[in-house]
Amino acid sequence: MTKAYRFLSGLLIALFFCLPLNGCYDSIEIDEEVYALAVGIDKGVSNIIRVTVQYPTYKDGGGGSGGGGSESGSGGGGEESGEVNGTVISTVEASSLLEGISMLNLSSNRQISLYHTKMLVFAEDYAREGVVRYVEPLARYREVRESMRVVICKGSAEEFIKKSSDFVGANTAKGMEMGFYQSQNTGYFPDVFFHNFYSSLISPYGQCTAIYAGVNEFKQLDSQEKEKPELHTDVDLEPGQIPRKGGSKSEFFGTAIFDGDKMVGYLLQNETRFYLMAIGKFKWGIFTFEDKRSPGDAYILEITSSKRPETKIRFEEGLPVIDLKISLEAELISNQSRIEYETLDKLTELEIEIEKYFHDGIKGTIEKTQREWNSDIFFFGKKAAAQFRTIQDLEEYNWLKHYQDAEVHVDVDVKVRRSGFLYKTMPIQSTSPDQKGRK
Amino acid sequence: MREGHFGFLEALSLMVIVLINKIFFTSPMTLIEKLGTSAWLGTLISCLASLSFFGLLYLLMKRFNGQDLFQIFETVTGKLVGRGLIFLISLYFLYYTAINAQEFAAILKAYSLPYTPIYLIVLPLLVIAAAMTYVGLEGIARVAYVFVFPIFGGLVLILVLAFPVYDWDYLRPLFGYGLDTTIGIGLLRSSAYSEIIFLAIIINSIHGLKYFRRVGISALLICGLVFSLCCACILAAFQYPSSSEHLSGMFQLSRVIYYSRFFQRIEAIFLFIWVFASVITIAIGFYISLKAYCRAFLIKNHRPLLFSILLLTSAVCFLPRSFPEILQIHVRVIREFSFLLIYLVPILVLLVAVILRRGGTSNDKSL
Amino acid sequence: MLVSEKKKQQSPILKILSLITYKKTSRPRSFVLPEQNEGQEGGDNSQNYQAPEGRGNEETQSEGKKRTKTLRKPLSPSQVKSGRRDVNEVKNDIDSNLEMIRQQFNVPQNKDLVIREFILARDKRGFIAYLDGMVDKTVINEHILRPLFDLSTSDLAGDSNSTTLALENIVETNDVKKLKNFKKVFAEILKGNTVLYVDGLDYFLACESIGFEMRSIETPKTEGVVKGSQEGFSENLRTNISLIRRIIKNKDLISEFFEIGEKSSTTCAVVYLQDLINPSILEEVRRRISSIKTDFLVSSGMLEQFIEDSPYSIIPTTLSTERPDRTASHLVEGKAAILMDGAPFAIVVPVTLNEIMHSPEDAALKWQYATSLRVIRFFAFAFAALLPGLYLALTTFHREMIPTDLLIAIAEAKENVPFPTLVEVILMELGFELIREAGIRIPGIIGNTLGIIGALILGEAAVSANIVSPVLIVIVAATGLSNFAIPNYSLAFGVRLLRFYFIIAGCFLGFYGLALALVVFVLMLVNLKSFGIPYLSIVAPRNKKSKDAVVRWPIWMQEERPDYLNTLDSRRQPEISRQWTQEDAPEPSGAGRNKDQGPAQQAPAGRNQNTGKEKESSD
Repeated sequence: MTKAYRFLSGLLIALFFCLPLNGCYDSIEIDEEVYALAVGIDKGVSNIIRVTVQYPTYKDGGGGSGGGGSESGSGGGGEESGEVNGTVISTVEASSLLEGISMLNLSSNRQISLYHTKMLVFAEDYAREGVVRYVEPLARYREVRESMRVVICKGSAEEFIKKSSDFVGANTAKGMEMGFYQSQNTGYFPDVFFHNFYSSLISPYGQCTAIYAGVNEFKQLDSQEKEKPELHTDVDLEPGQIPRKGGSKSEFFGTAIFDGDKMVGYLLQNETRFYLMAIGKFKWGIFTFEDKRSPGDAYILEITSSKRPETKIRFEEGLPVIDLKISLEAELISNQSRIEYETLDKLTELEIEIEKYFHDGIKGTIEKTQREWNSDIFFFGKKAAAQFRTIQDLEEYNWLKHYQDAEVHVDVDVKVRRSGFLYKTMPIQSTSPDQKGRK
Repeated sequence: MREGHFGFLEALSLMVIVLINKIFFTSPMTLIEKLGTSAWLGTLISCLASLSFFGLLYLLMKRFNGQDLFQIFETVTGKLVGRGLIFLISLYFLYYTAINAQEFAAILKAYSLPYTPIYLIVLPLLVIAAAMTYVGLEGIARVAYVFVFPIFGGLVLILVLAFPVYDWDYLRPLFGYGLDTTIGIGLLRSSAYSEIIFLAIIINSIHGLKYFRRVGISALLICGLVFSLCCACILAAFQYPSSSEHLSGMFQLSRVIYYSRFFQRIEAIFLFIWVFASVITIAIGFYISLKAYCRAFLIKNHRPLLFSILLLTSAVCFLPRSFPEILQIHVRVIREFSFLLIYLVPILVLLVAVILRRGGTSNDKSL
Repeated sequence: MLVSEKKKQQSPILKILSLITYKKTSRPRSFVLPEQNEGQEGGDNSQNYQAPEGRGNEETQSEGKKRTKTLRKPLSPSQVKSGRRDVNEVKNDIDSNLEMIRQQFNVPQNKDLVIREFILARDKRGFIAYLDGMVDKTVINEHILRPLFDLSTSDLAGDSNSTTLALENIVETNDVKKLKNFKKVFAEILKGNTVLYVDGLDYFLACESIGFEMRSIETPKTEGVVKGSQEGFSENLRTNISLIRRIIKNKDLISEFFEIGEKSSTTCAVVYLQDLINPSILEEVRRRISSIKTDFLVSSGMLEQFIEDSPYSIIPTTLSTERPDRTASHLVEGKAAILMDGAPFAIVVPVTLNEIMHSPEDAALKWQYATSLRVIRFFAFAFAALLPGLYLALTTFHREMIPTDLLIAIAEAKENVPFPTLVEVILMELGFELIREAGIRIPGIIGNTLGIIGALILGEAAVSANIVSPVLIVIVAATGLSNFAIPNYSLAFGVRLLRFYFIIAGCFLGFYGLALALVVFVLMLVNLKSFGIPYLSIVAPRNKKSKDAVVRWPIWMQEERPDYLNTLDSRRQPEISRQWTQEDAPEPSGAGRNKDQGPAQQAPAGRNQNTGKEKESSD
């Protein structure tokens, strides 16, 4: 044994002596790099592409920990240096994405790394011309996270990144990720990972989507008051149009739709929810319905999906027929009309009403994608593929092209299961005779 | 030559690691590129083909009970031809080792150590494999047995953690590029399981025929199933066009694991199992090559040769010019055409033995 | 061959060449435990072993009079050296004998040796000799001298044979030996016994009179437990053996004595259970111990180094314990313990890594607690060895793995630290080792507190002085804590060194380097042997499943001794050790036996109940 160890140790020593001679090539200290959190891509003016990179500063109380975010932006040079909320945002014009980023090393004084990039933003104008040129190098590049989100924003990506600061905590990276989590809590936008986006780009089964976003300049809130505000339950808004004030100016709202690598259109927020329900990614969300029995009042439901949607595709006389069965669960969380929906017969009525709403919505959304863009963002193609024996057959048929010919049947099943803490709705007692809930 | 003995589980883990090692590298990519959505089926066919070959090998080993493959070569084909064959096998496994090391290094460089020169990745690997060879077969088997748990644990962890990204619909169409293609390529790629021949070479260290059969069949079945499962998972996660682009499907799979803000991008952990599996594979390749060489030239002690063969392997390692060359020529040769040597030669030897009526019931060990 | 002949005048080039050219070297005889027959596992395999010659007859004879037996195989150090004095026989005249003793002990320079001459019954000259300080003077006064002086002339009359009888009967000490060889006489004096000589005899009479100051039995210092015995070994060999014997009251418990050290002549004892230990292991232990040629041996740690299998291994291959109960439990598993006079430690051989990681308390706790503690200990082992290396690899190679928030926090904290992470890690590790080493030297209460306080202050100061980043303090502290959780002192040392090995590996090639380093480490481990037993037994090579490895199954399930030891009797207890679970419930019908085992019966015992019954009855 002794000899074996002598040999082993000899080898090891030799190894260790030869290693430092060659240096540690890949070893980089943490603080020798800055970590791009967001990368934005705009159309260039004098060159083809304009790259915006956001990375946290290492000043005390910067992006990482402690300190107030609002303070750091207060410096006079804030605008010029691009310093926002503990991060630096800088933009460069270059001939390609990665080259642009390496040119930005000059301004950051450290190497910019994409190891921790959370979000890739394309300007909508640019996305409509095709994104593959900028996505492809990222798919090859080892630094890029597969869990990076792909965002298409209205207007300029640079502006979007600048406006998308998180005001809750000083931690920009956390703010960004938490922002994406809201997809699950609301269903107003899909959560699209880079690897999904890329593999959908070259997929024969369907088309890719991205998060649709915009900048809200807080101008949508009407200042003059109306006598009696009307109840609008189905307002379709584009990103940047939400009537709100305060908080971050950026908003993810809706779904960008692609055909190949070109963006062709977008779904609005409710359509996005229907889309998510159809592909089984809908977690939960709150829906307000106008009560037909008591106009002006609303009942509010919290919808969760109870089962994964079932999709069946068959070919009838050469044309595809899609059967989509969606099961949802609802919880009654508000009942303004105070009609006793908790009774069994009323409950069934309510369910039928809601089912119809979702049926129309989902079917409408699917048909819209067929009609307007012929883009199978629902990936019905993967179900259709089961009808083909070989890939050659599938590719020859070209599902993506024939998507628009498909006939769609949607079957929505809603079960109102609970009604919150209150099991009954009692009428409100008052002197007025037409009080709500009085039978 | 120090061989030593080891039990069933050690032998099994050694074989399983050697067989499964290629799943971490370009093998799934090539398979999916050629077979599309039926890659998982194709590899099962390869596995079955290998099993039937293994049956033939078993017949051969049974006919010459108590002898290892090299002794059988000499017994059946005579000293000169036998030793020629042994030398050929030695050369092949030298090449095999070098190309495996090179493939490993290329993948590692692409995914983890982009600026480290390739020789700095290959050399430590080869040196440590050589150290393992120095210690001997028993040492390699023991190390394999220790590491089979992390390797399999890691593999299972990847497959399970990536579960949310799977969509089994992506396994359709069922027959990929056609059933005939699937079967054809599947049979061709049975070479990917050709390492099972190791068992016939080290048969005297694993307590003879009984374990030989048990280890061989279980190793092939386990690997076939795992390979098939991995291919299916890669397909389900990335769809066939994308997964035929990825250099290492399993690595890519570990990259998409995403559970929350703090549990993502943990692929570097799986680097460990990559390395464990590769070191063991390369060490055993090394050992077999060395053993064959020693047998061919009647050298008693393999240790003095270690340094020269290490040098030789590293030289072969740096032959390929570029990564595509490794993939399109060398890896292809090993994974698709090696059966010509590894499977056909023993079968021919068996035929010769049957025709010349050598072996059989007699247990004559003398040449 | 050529190279070795010209060794003296070879040129540097030849020297270098000789490093890389092949030389056939002689390999030391390595001991490997003979394998069992592959087919039969466990069971009775005593027929596989030929009892080593001499073992049977010598020891069985000596059972009655153990004290004398110990001197049958003395390893006299002077055998080696002395060519100058080959007359070892005791003369039968007092002057030459007296001269011999004086000369050998350098009297009168040496003031320790006391020679008291006297005249017995007015005509017989005699003397006693002893080493001052080593003896109990009351014994000499009351039980040796007084009976001698009380003799009357008539008692000594007659021929020499009758005198012998008389002398032995006169001296009132409990152990009396007749010694005809001077070497033995000297050895007895050196031990603290008193030798008596009366003119005309051709032998000395050695009377036991050992009585020197020694430490009393105290609680173990490093292996403290909550539940369990609080006795630790002391420096006295006899006491230590008695401590073991008090736990194992078995006539097969044998202690063989050896003397090692030409100058120090230290007594070592090999203790084992004769009906359990594998004879070949015992033979190997004997062989190693008896062949040690050295001049001085003072601690069991030195002895360990003389007998361990692989001196180059960074991990200990023997188990050193200061607890008699732990030693006893190993003896009952079929191992040997080596005790040494003057060392409060027993060396247990052979051991496996698994057993070194066990704590003496494990057996006393409920199995769930013990198992969780063991799991924590194994984690501690991994942390202590790997954590700094992992941190280094993570921060310099695999930054993508660190959660973004943490990464930015680390970068921010590191912003003003001028050193690379490697330097930081090594600085902090060295600082920690410094505190630990200093803590041992600093006397009293300060020493104990310095460890913790010092680390805190040093860490805090280093952070505020921008010498290291705060995360590193956490890493180093966690590593240090983990190291203390390793139950074996030597192993903890080994792991501390391993840590630096992994730091270097991680620093050069990141996880790749760490993985390679791990492979090398495991390769080393699987090739380690402790007295012929593979060090990773149970894992590699895989043995019969142990019920006491990482998961410590309930005591009543541990029916067999460790498989790898190939003990003469592998069964510890019958399959059903809790016989009460088999008893029938007080039910009128006797037919319900099988049903009754339901709720109270644990599954494994229930499964084996029939075979267990049969075995028990056959036993």
